[in-house]
Amino acid sequence: MASELSPQERKLLDGILDVLIPRNPARGIPGAGELGVTDFLIECAAKDESFNVAIRMILERASDGTIEDVRRIETGDSDAFARLLEQSYKGYYSRADIRAKFGVGAHPPHPEGYEVAPESPELMESLTAPVRVRGHAYRDTPAGDKNAE
Amino acid sequence: MPNDSVDALIIGAGASGAAIAWSLLETRMRILCLEQGGHVSDQQFPSRRDDYELARYGEFSCDPNVRQLPQDYPINVADSCITPVNWNGVGGSTINFLGHWVRLKPSDFRTRTLDGVGDDWPIDYQALEPFYNTNDANTGVSGLAGNPAYPDYAPPHPPIPMGVLGQTLAKGFNKMGWHWWPSDVAILSRDFEGRSKCVNAGTCDLGCAAGAKGGTNFTYWQMLENSGVELRTHARVREITVDENTGMASGVLYHDAQGRIHEQKAEMVVVACNGVGTPRLLLHSKSKTFPDGLANRSGMVGKNLMFHPLRGVAGVFDEPMKGHEGPMACSILSQEFYESDSARGFVRGYGLHSGRSTTPMTYALGGYGIDSPIPWGERHREIMDDIYPYLAGLTVVSEDLPEEHNRVTLDANLTDSDGIPAPKVTYRLGENTRRMLEHGEARAEEVLQAAGAKKILPKSDDKVWWRAGWHQMGTCRMGNNPARSVVNGWGRSHDVKNLFIVDGSIFVTAGAVNPTSTIQALALYIGDSIKTNIANLFED
Repeated sequence: MASELSPQERKLLDGILDVLIPRNPARGIPGAGELGVTDFLIECAAKDESFNVAIRMILERASDGTIEDVRRIETGDSDAFARLLEQSYKGYYSRADIRAKFGVGAHPPHPEGYEVAPESPELMESLTAPVRVRGHAYRDTPAGDKNAE
Repeated sequence: MPNDSVDALIIGAGASGAAIAWSLLETRMRILCLEQGGHVSDQQFPSRRDDYELARYGEFSCDPNVRQLPQDYPINVADSCITPVNWNGVGGSTINFLGHWVRLKPSDFRTRTLDGVGDDWPIDYQALEPFYNTNDANTGVSGLAGNPAYPDYAPPHPPIPMGVLGQTLAKGFNKMGWHWWPSDVAILSRDFEGRSKCVNAGTCDLGCAAGAKGGTNFTYWQMLENSGVELRTHARVREITVDENTGMASGVLYHDAQGRIHEQKAEMVVVACNGVGTPRLLLHSKSKTFPDGLANRSGMVGKNLMFHPLRGVAGVFDEPMKGHEGPMACSILSQEFYESDSARGFVRGYGLHSGRSTTPMTYALGGYGIDSPIPWGERHREIMDDIYPYLAGLTVVSEDLPEEHNRVTLDANLTDSDGIPAPKVTYRLGENTRRMLEHGEARAEEVLQAAGAKKILPKSDDKVWWRAGWHQMGTCRMGNNPARSVVNGWGRSHDVKNLFIVDGSIFVTAGAVNPTSTIQALALYIGDSIKTNIANLFED
């Protein structure tokens, strides 16, 4: 199973992950491999044998974890690759510290949430004024049910 | 072993089951509600967890085929381009709905008369209006009065914030000279009756841990249980039984959490299982009197399934749109293209809804309700760093027309854990809807550009959103003609005089708005009709 990855296999998977989600050094955003998403994948594989098989197939196909290698894996086994990609995105973006890099709170949404100021009555009035000026915007409709089936 | 008979047996504790229980409360009937799921406390909602987004793809997925919890039933969707989504438990799909709270419009009840499509409803907007108002008050609806797209009404609470995203798009609509309005929402903008106001968490689909969203778990059910309505959870109804001598419903057989079968007798049965669950139950309730399924002499049970097919268009702006802050689905709404215009090449119309953007994981995996991950590699980095924070989008919410070939049947092989046949959904997109969606996408692009979008994101394909099956309507339609409809104008079965249906399955047409407001108004209307007719309720 994937939980028994050899050091070489782990290094290879880390490299593949860094190709899938590369780092952005200018903003201090790590790649998926260096963030440790491999651990998340190992946990997933331990719970889901079909994903474990997919990881194994990918590691068997992989040679050096370069972009070309990853493209070859994607072409050669698209189903296994799609599963790897999905779980890699989940592992990467489930990290609160990564979420914060995109302006989204590192905290759970509840109970803190986000402070969003309500629009002032004056702003709401000015924004909706053109809509109100155009007036009645629905179809007048006959009452009754004479055509109802 | 049979339980003591009750006066009113309600099947399903979601939006409509809760509303009609509330309406019937004053009759002092003995009311029992059977619900296949259980309670979910606000402490269990994933939005309290650090890794909350993962729940969207597991135990709190909106898709029962993904979730696969013990109370869920599988749905065969191999022949559908849209998959139904729901929640099974106390509150039903109001647990994970997004709270967008839009009424049908007067013309929605008269599509045959006005546009020659669908059928007219046996009731009209005016009949439902007082029940919309009552339900808005019970639910705690926020919005801005004076929307010129509707007959005059006033939501009971002030609007929730539109935020930078909504304000930006509103200016775009104003530039185009098109209608828009702040969305009415079943979400509190201020504290109300022990519930807290919205904290703009942006995770409405993961259960509202603040209690701000007006799910019936927070609104009706707490009061109903305190008032003596019995709510029996983990009780999955297998079939509605019939007295073969009278042809009336006699009660139900249901499974408890251990799978054991119980009998429950009732004077009156009310079905509130939504547009997929209700026809499934009726079709499975076969008897000598009703060999094709209960209340199905018309053959219409399960037919005319309508969704609201969706497509989205997104623009990239110069400033961060902060789309993760605030209720997910609700900021502003345009109904400029709602009513028919023969010049557009289709009948009826659609709404443009400003959904806010999602959280990073959901965006990377394709967006809410879509399984289409964004590219990997350097392109991934560019999209997440340079596009995602600056996105604002519009969703085209189209009116689906009733077509008999779109339907719910029973699957011949697939069952739930109690051996009850699963529903099979057969659904294809109508040509009118397809043209409507294309028109809507083009208009959405125009308004996003008018709002200042520097770039419109290219579409990946022309498919509709896969998990867009929130709104399940039409499969037990109401009508005056017993040969063409399942229930009459106040929800009573044409065939079984003590059987009522109160959920979205009784819609005659779909409109192009989220239906929960109308589902609950209808349930209150039917409850009121039951009370009005109580002296001769089961007579012709």
